[in-house]
Amino acid sequence: MNRQSGPVVWVGIIASTCLLLFLFKKMLWLVVPFLLALIIYYFLQPATHRLVLHGFHRKTAAAITGGGFILLLLVCAALLFPWISSHAVSWQDSMGRYIEGGSRLLQKTMDGLEAQFAFLERASLSRNVSEQLASFTETFAQRHLANFVVTLAAWLPALLLAPFLAFFFLRDGRRFTKFIANAVPNAFFERTLYLMHEMDKTARAYFQGLISLTILDTIALAIGLWVIGLSAPLLLGMVCAVLAWVPYVGSILGCLLVVLVAATDFPLDPWMAYGAIIVFVLVRLLDDFVFMPLTIGRSLRMHPLLTVLMIFVGGAVAGVAGLMLVLPLLGVAMVVGETIGMIVTDPRLQARWAHARRLRAEQAAADLQA
Amino acid sequence: MFLFSKDEDSPRLKQLRALSLFSTLSPRELKTVDGLLHERNYLKDEVIFDQGEEGQALYIIESGKVLICRQGQAVAGRVAELGEGRLFGELALLDNSPRAAQARALENCSLAVLFRADFLGLLETHAVIASKIALQLARHIGQRLRETVNAPGSQSE
Repeated sequence: MNRQSGPVVWVGIIASTCLLLFLFKKMLWLVVPFLLALIIYYFLQPATHRLVLHGFHRKTAAAITGGGFILLLLVCAALLFPWISSHAVSWQDSMGRYIEGGSRLLQKTMDGLEAQFAFLERASLSRNVSEQLASFTETFAQRHLANFVVTLAAWLPALLLAPFLAFFFLRDGRRFTKFIANAVPNAFFERTLYLMHEMDKTARAYFQGLISLTILDTIALAIGLWVIGLSAPLLLGMVCAVLAWVPYVGSILGCLLVVLVAATDFPLDPWMAYGAIIVFVLVRLLDDFVFMPLTIGRSLRMHPLLTVLMIFVGGAVAGVAGLMLVLPLLGVAMVVGETIGMIVTDPRLQARWAHARRLRAEQAAADLQA
Repeated sequence: MFLFSKDEDSPRLKQLRALSLFSTLSPRELKTVDGLLHERNYLKDEVIFDQGEEGQALYIIESGKVLICRQGQAVAGRVAELGEGRLFGELALLDNSPRAAQARALENCSLAVLFRADFLGLLETHAVIASKIALQLARHIGQRLRETVNAPGSQSE
């Protein structure tokens, strides 16, 4: 379908994206499970199709794939819970060790900078930073642990909702599409079908692109970290790739994590940490210029400048959630906005709708006119 | 087996099998197709689609009559008058080309609509069903071609 939207439509698209971000920020408890459910839905959709192809009823196929996924999650939770409980203490020690390793690296870097630049030594940069870091890490657990546990407990029921939502999407998704299409006047019917198809295509391409991007990032980072000799490169690569779902902030956290591990595993060799930073930056560049355009960028068909600007707008309107949600929301708003723009500005479709309404009114009043 | 769909013919499946496009499908295949079809009702004189419009779907007449004509020329530009069981707009299933003529309801009618993207999805997920429909569609287009060639005044005569 030809798409030549004017500036008014584009202003509407960007304004509605911002409004949706603002509203979604207020109801994150529903938006996050919904988003996770969509990811699970697009992940399980091929398996459900295959079962339907083999003669299973759609409801049965959805029950098998959805139920199988929930069962898998329960088994994983049952297996992981005792393991997590038994390793919690050693993890606490490890975390302390990694933070200490990071502090040591920072201290060494500051000492090096002070030795190079006299004005930094006069400002006691190294001592000030060390003191602030020590006070932050000492009180970090007391200040944030209780909040973290309460937040996790509050979010757990909402997150458990995601697999159930995914199951209903799989089972009744097509009925929902027909239900919406039935409510549309005849004049706009074909355009609306096209719109819903494009929305589904955009969302599927985005989420499947996101999964592909995560796999590519994990492999690239794991190879890089393995080459420089860091421990657990695959796990680190995967954690960093998942953190990268949050633009900018996620990348910074991922880089920090890699540096902490490098600084702790090789306390006497600061070049290891610098090497890890170089690997991380190289993979991010590869991600931005090769992987992203091949996966998500291509799926959303957006101009790179608009993508970057909207990421900033998303962050300003709805914080971290806005950074995560802005691109898929903009993708959907683009399809809806452009199609509504086409329908509203098409005088022939409007005339056909008016004609149909007149016919229906005449039919309804046919026996009253005599 | 209870896990599998039941294959007996419901009135709806019988109605679908009576349509030439789906006459070769098994009850199970008909059920799959039924899940994809949209039901639309048009009043007498209502426009179904315009000539030149980008086609997105194929229409099958379940009841009533439909007029195919040149845009805005219901009498002078009359191309065909189609009744129950006939289909139209089939070229939309094959390509993005604009509609070759206008379709209007000659009387109140009920239509089943197969959206092109659903048909293309069927080609990927249910290739057997899609190929059966495609074969029927090819036969239908072939029949139309023969009718055109054999029509009085045709140059090939």
